[in-house]
Amino acid sequence: MTRKVYDVIVIGTGAGGGMAIKTLCDAGLKVCALNAGRRLDPAKDFRNHRMPYEMKYRGFGDPRKRSLSYGYMDNEYVEGVWEHEITYTTGPGTEWMWPRCYAVGGKTNFWGRSSARFSDIDFKAATLDGFDTDWPVTYQEIEPYYGRVERMIGVASTVQNRPSNPDGVYLPAFKFRCLDHILESGAAKVGVPYLPDRIAQLTKDHEGHPACHYCGNCTEGCDTGSFFSTPWFFLPNAEKSGNLELRTNALAKNILVDGRGQARGVAYIDRRTRKEVEVHGRAVVVAASCVESTRIMLNSKSRHWPNGIANSSGQLGKNLCDHLYGNAARGFLPQLLGQPSFPDNVSSSTIAWMPRWQNLTNPKEEKFIRGYSVYPGGGCGGFPWYHGDIEGFGSAFKREIKRRYPTPVSFTIQAPTLRSEDNYVDIDPEVKDAYGIPVIRVHFRWHQNTMLMWDHAKHVCAEVLKAAGGEYTGAAEQPEPPGFSLHETGTCRMGADPRTSVTNKFGQTHDVSNLYVCDASVFSNCTDKTTTLSIMAFTLRSCEHLVEGLRGRLNKTKED
Amino acid sequence: MAGQGMERRDVLKMLATASIASQFSGFSRWSFGWQHPAHNLSQIKAAKYAPRFFTPAEYAIVERLADLIIPSDGTPGAGEAGVSEFIDFMVWSDPTLQYSFRSGLTWLDAHSRSRHGSNWVGLDPARQAEILTALAYSAHYRPAEEEGRRFFRLFRDYTVMGFYTSQIGLEQLDYPGLKVYSESPACPHQDDPEHRRLKEPGA
Repeated sequence: MTRKVYDVIVIGTGAGGGMAIKTLCDAGLKVCALNAGRRLDPAKDFRNHRMPYEMKYRGFGDPRKRSLSYGYMDNEYVEGVWEHEITYTTGPGTEWMWPRCYAVGGKTNFWGRSSARFSDIDFKAATLDGFDTDWPVTYQEIEPYYGRVERMIGVASTVQNRPSNPDGVYLPAFKFRCLDHILESGAAKVGVPYLPDRIAQLTKDHEGHPACHYCGNCTEGCDTGSFFSTPWFFLPNAEKSGNLELRTNALAKNILVDGRGQARGVAYIDRRTRKEVEVHGRAVVVAASCVESTRIMLNSKSRHWPNGIANSSGQLGKNLCDHLYGNAARGFLPQLLGQPSFPDNVSSSTIAWMPRWQNLTNPKEEKFIRGYSVYPGGGCGGFPWYHGDIEGFGSAFKREIKRRYPTPVSFTIQAPTLRSEDNYVDIDPEVKDAYGIPVIRVHFRWHQNTMLMWDHAKHVCAEVLKAAGGEYTGAAEQPEPPGFSLHETGTCRMGADPRTSVTNKFGQTHDVSNLYVCDASVFSNCTDKTTTLSIMAFTLRSCEHLVEGLRGRLNKTKED
Repeated sequence: MAGQGMERRDVLKMLATASIASQFSGFSRWSFGWQHPAHNLSQIKAAKYAPRFFTPAEYAIVERLADLIIPSDGTPGAGEAGVSEFIDFMVWSDPTLQYSFRSGLTWLDAHSRSRHGSNWVGLDPARQAEILTALAYSAHYRPAEEEGRRFFRLFRDYTVMGFYTSQIGLEQLDYPGLKVYSESPACPHQDDPEHRRLKEPGA
């Protein structure tokens, strides 16, 4: 029996993998996709329309399992999709809180949906401020891909004419709530922007997907598919085309190479049989998410690649960056005291944003370089989390909780880190997972530049709140721990120089021409913007490059 | 990850454990607190709840504390929502909470005896409230009551948690989520963006 050889093996089905699958299948290529977790049926698996009291554990999950949990997202609304069996370790002094969704679609099932384009202020950051290196691309090059992705997934926003945040192709924006108008006036007085976010959530029917119904529980997964996720938007068509074979519970172990060190397939563990299986293809796309892709590549050692595949530069696993998240300010808007409940938690907190305003005209205006963004939010949520800021007990306390229900606001900072020698991942030499695969080990801490942004944001957000007439009640003592944002980047960074980078500007590894990396690990630096939209734009471009390459090779073979 | 509801995130941090099991046998008010519309509550006769963790004497304090923190005062309170059952189940489920709750209740009784010569539930309502007032309001703080203040804050957190995850509590807030809206809800006060002219109802 001849061995089946697919055109492309894709590892992962999230933002990168899903986009790769769509692009390759649309081009008529035969794709085998490996997904480490189970298939997910949004209609059955998502319980976002349940009240807390309709679930056995009020939405929080079985207390006996909570000690295994990696964080707040791992709750009863979406049981059995967060990974517990495959572990990771941390280096000395590293705190890394890292919930991972291995179910089909990955983090796109629950992502925050904020979708800002990167710009030349990001791609050419090193030229502007002298730190590190530029990306090997310009905004002009990547701009058409952003537009195509925005049309595919549907992004709601407005044209804002800010060169640091290029405008795109948008559905009508979410409307501002009472709290937005009030905070907007405060921001105007302080002189910082307060604008509709770019949010991948459908404000009208789009490409066969129904408009949002604004129920507000998006983070537990959408049961109508009204925001982009690969199981709702990409995978069904790819499977219908007959070009996709999706293998679930297929935990990628390593990339197989041929006698020349080129990729010839992937070895994975079938988690149901616990047996190792090999699948073969003419090319491999690694899109397992930043750190997971790096684990697979570092574990792919061979005669050709003794330090991991495509790692002749030694950069594989280095340059780990992350977004610092934290509550930079919180308080109340007394203007709204006692007002009737209003559905202003319609999309959690990303209706509005305060896009980077620091270091725009002069890259060294602030004590830190680069910049951060802020997501304001608040209003009538599912739980009165502000109760800790109200003293007392009894009828007055109860009345005050109700009276303040429309008034709470908070500001979440999203601040990038700079690359640093001591922030990286490697393979733990001693620990293996339940299937005998060596686990990834994370070494990470916040550095001064990012902490200066945190301090800056606490100051500015308090000013905005006070200028809006709000009552400031404090900020988080500490930012969230590293890993929390799930925005890790950089461990397979792209670059023009094969000595200092893992891939070229098409996500194609310098060393192995038929191995592509399609996730945020290729990002050359960390920006103030979220990762998903850019993962997809770069993946679209990389996979079209791969399609061209395979066609070229195919034609060449025919000519021979 | 922008867009994670801050409230759920904070709630989970506070709890770090699961809450109530609706199918859990032995509940009386708690379980039917959501199975029946709130206006029918008065018609339902509660079975006697047998606490899982607290002793009967401790549980009497738990019930009274929850009632005082979120009272029934024209609208249903912690009693109707079965919050004391919720707290008992929570503490029973989570060994890391047990010492704090048990020692806090012990502190409250010892403190009441030393001030007024009786355990706390044995005091008249005014004295019960006086003890709590010193723990709950910074203007009334007394020295050497730090342990009590810590316990009160913990107990209040769980009372709030139990109450506002119940149907009764969410209805009291008029929680507007998990409904279907035909368009992106917009501020209804377009002529007053700073909301300066908005009057507080009943103020």
